[in-house]
Amino acid sequence: MILFCILLLPAKANEIDRFIFRDKQQNNQLCSDEVFLRRTCLTLTGRLPQAEKSRLFLSSDNTTKRADLIDELLDSDECTQYLVMRWGDILRIKSEFPSNLWPNAVQAYNRWLYEKIKDNTPYNKFVSELLLSKGSNFRSPAVNFYRAFLKRSPENIYENISLLFLGDRICNDNGHFCFSQIRYKNTKEWKEEIVYVDLEVMPIAPKIEMFNQQEIVLNPGEDWRSAYVAWLTGKQNKRFAGVMANRLWFWLTGQGIVSEPDDWGKHNPPSNPELMNYLTDRFIESGYDMKALMRLILNSGAYQSAASPQGVYVPQRLPAEVIVDVLADLTGTSDSYWSRVPEPFTFYPEGTRSVDLGDATVSSPALELFGRASRDVSLESQRSNKLMPRQMLYLMNSSELERRIQKSNILNEICSGQTNTENVCRAITLMTLSRYPSAEEINLFKAHTEKNGLSLRDLASDILWTHINSAEFLFNH
Amino acid sequence: MKRILPFFLLVSLSLGSMAQQAKSVILVYLDGGPSQTDTFDPKPEATREIYGTLKEAVQTNVPDIIIGSKLPLLAQMADKYSLIRSMTHSNNGHETGHYAMITGDLSRSSIVYPSYGSVIAFMKSPTYKGILPAYVSVTSANSRFNEGGFLGNKYKSFDTGGEPEKMVFEVEGIINREIKPGTLEKRMQLLDGFEKTNPFCKSFTYSSAIDSFRRINTEFISGASRKVFDLTDESKEVRERYGMNRLGQSCLAARKLVEAGVPFINVRTTGWDTHKKHFQRMNEMLPELDQALSALLADLDEKGLLDSTIVLCGGEFGRTPKVLWEAPWNGGRAHFGQAFSYLVAGGGFIPGKVLGKTDKTGENITERKVYPCDLIGTVYLLMGIDPKGTLPHILEGNLPILPSLGKEEQSNGLLYELINLK
Repeated sequence: MILFCILLLPAKANEIDRFIFRDKQQNNQLCSDEVFLRRTCLTLTGRLPQAEKSRLFLSSDNTTKRADLIDELLDSDECTQYLVMRWGDILRIKSEFPSNLWPNAVQAYNRWLYEKIKDNTPYNKFVSELLLSKGSNFRSPAVNFYRAFLKRSPENIYENISLLFLGDRICNDNGHFCFSQIRYKNTKEWKEEIVYVDLEVMPIAPKIEMFNQQEIVLNPGEDWRSAYVAWLTGKQNKRFAGVMANRLWFWLTGQGIVSEPDDWGKHNPPSNPELMNYLTDRFIESGYDMKALMRLILNSGAYQSAASPQGVYVPQRLPAEVIVDVLADLTGTSDSYWSRVPEPFTFYPEGTRSVDLGDATVSSPALELFGRASRDVSLESQRSNKLMPRQMLYLMNSSELERRIQKSNILNEICSGQTNTENVCRAITLMTLSRYPSAEEINLFKAHTEKNGLSLRDLASDILWTHINSAEFLFNH
Repeated sequence: MKRILPFFLLVSLSLGSMAQQAKSVILVYLDGGPSQTDTFDPKPEATREIYGTLKEAVQTNVPDIIIGSKLPLLAQMADKYSLIRSMTHSNNGHETGHYAMITGDLSRSSIVYPSYGSVIAFMKSPTYKGILPAYVSVTSANSRFNEGGFLGNKYKSFDTGGEPEKMVFEVEGIINREIKPGTLEKRMQLLDGFEKTNPFCKSFTYSSAIDSFRRINTEFISGASRKVFDLTDESKEVRERYGMNRLGQSCLAARKLVEAGVPFINVRTTGWDTHKKHFQRMNEMLPELDQALSALLADLDEKGLLDSTIVLCGGEFGRTPKVLWEAPWNGGRAHFGQAFSYLVAGGGFIPGKVLGKTDKTGENITERKVYPCDLIGTVYLLMGIDPKGTLPHILEGNLPILPSLGKEEQSNGLLYELINLK
């Protein structure tokens, strides 16, 4: 059995593992190739691997196949799209309440994010561009950062910046002075807005002291955001790098070293300070290279260990968009999305992926049911991956989903010209669970077919239903 | 989560002195913004500029109360409900109006409040033991903002989906016509067998939780909850009394949900955003509303449920009293958050009264402004929830349940005129 065999940690362990396994290095159980493949595709792209890809990966003897897959996925367009969604959550990209960005600006903002992530823009540069932005919401999309506030006060803006980039939930310094020059004005173009800095504003104080005892000087006639950004993104501000390094760890493993990932401070120390320091240093040394850090984490024995609630890799329920998109892929249909603004309503074409919506104002009942991020607050916990009975109810007995399973072109294709139960079972298992079925499973499905006198196509529906209702499917593990 | 325990202690202490009168709330939400001029605040003495083609108003069975002529059934039972003619929040956008009307929050802070359905579901969660979710929408909630607010996904509404006016009301996840009888049971056996042979599922930490969720769901699908949504077990007369249309049958489903003990039911009906063809649409829609709402009130009353069930009817705002005769509207009404009406009944609301007044044209309130939090706070009070209580917020600690209550231009006091304090 390839599937459940336990691999020992490779001799040349990733440096990260030194901080985790220490004496009990021998005890790290790596996940199987099947699990690694599924886990990594879901984590980086929000999609299941296609059957052909799984077949090739599982049959390959290449010793570097895991690292190769990581490289391939990190460079994929799907990965960029998926990261745009994660950033969109914490930047609260939404056409309507409470961010009120409006659809054109939402599109521009998403395109900007997409380019930045695709180019793997260094994190310090990315944050500088975001925070020093000015101009039109359509032409300088990063300014939408400053527009996405219900109450556009320097205090609110600053609290959000502290939360996003320093994991600071309390925010008790005077950093908001640096954002007191921000002004907004409308143009003649519908919903266009200019964000600018009023250099005539006089500083309330000549300088402010930050938590790391450094000072920010507010010179009259200058854009004080520059002084703030220089302080924020400076190499001596390790917390800036640490928060992002930890966020990436959280995105990839499901559990922050500082947990929750947006709650930093003495009251909530990292569970593994040495590892946190190491990742932070490596992130700074690499020139704030996010992909390099992701690559380092993904290649570690820690990320690749068998899932366990007490372990490094915690099983996680699939996020809302992933469930919805995967169900669409498995049934060859898609959910329907439309936007109420601007009127007349905009309908998204069939085949639209929820990961690509880019706007929390555009939703569907299934996305809401599975706890998509509301994008009201920049907290990771706004996305709810907690399993609830009513979510399982939907998978068990929804008319809408049942219609899609029964009409699925994908299942039709699998069954067409087919007479062999085992082949159908293998094809569906590879498609939904990224592995081959065990002999026991094949026997189970055979017995089910005989007992109930099912056609092959009805069996296909029952197999798919069984898979999507199983814990093995519902969780990334 | 650390904050929740002391919070509940606090609530239970402060509630000691407050008697709960209502057990359930039905909100009949007219999504899009209904015209108050053509419903609950008619102006027959005004000009065609105001009343358009619906000049006539009808005398109700309560002296001095008149309502729109397209609501004759409701007119015969004005002693069962009261009208608020002075609702205001001055928001003319659907989304901001909806947010104001459904959360009561006019403070424009950066915090997204939960809808009052979610708040009631949250506050009732320690004591509510029904099998159905505490907050149900027939057929779906307005998802224009995150209506669980900072309380999160758990307290959002359970949307039934489906079409209650059809012979079979397909409730998402509960009543599924797509599969043959017995199929689900066979599949459940198959799933059970699958998970027993599957090494991952066998050793999976959350397996027992998943099992218990499945048991809850099986009960949900096969048990009493299925009957709640089965409108065919009502007689033909009862179904027809409500009207064989979406709104009518949704109201009937709401009555059955009240009988099942569900604390908050949102019946959302769309199409009230009548910028164009306003009067034509009113002629089609108001008779349905009249029939459904009057049947709901009468049925609840006959079953002895009205005293413990609050019924509310209104939208996110009203519509301009002045008719827009010019192109492109050609006889339409625009959004109007300045002055509009709500119907309130049951659950401790005194019937047969009118609260608040507007001027001759209906554009300005001349007596007793009522802000959203005044209405919602009164609903909380009747539901045994302290309107001055708090809700836990992950960043901010305990926040007032109604941030606008008691604030100038956001609140004008709870509706003590309309309730008898027990």
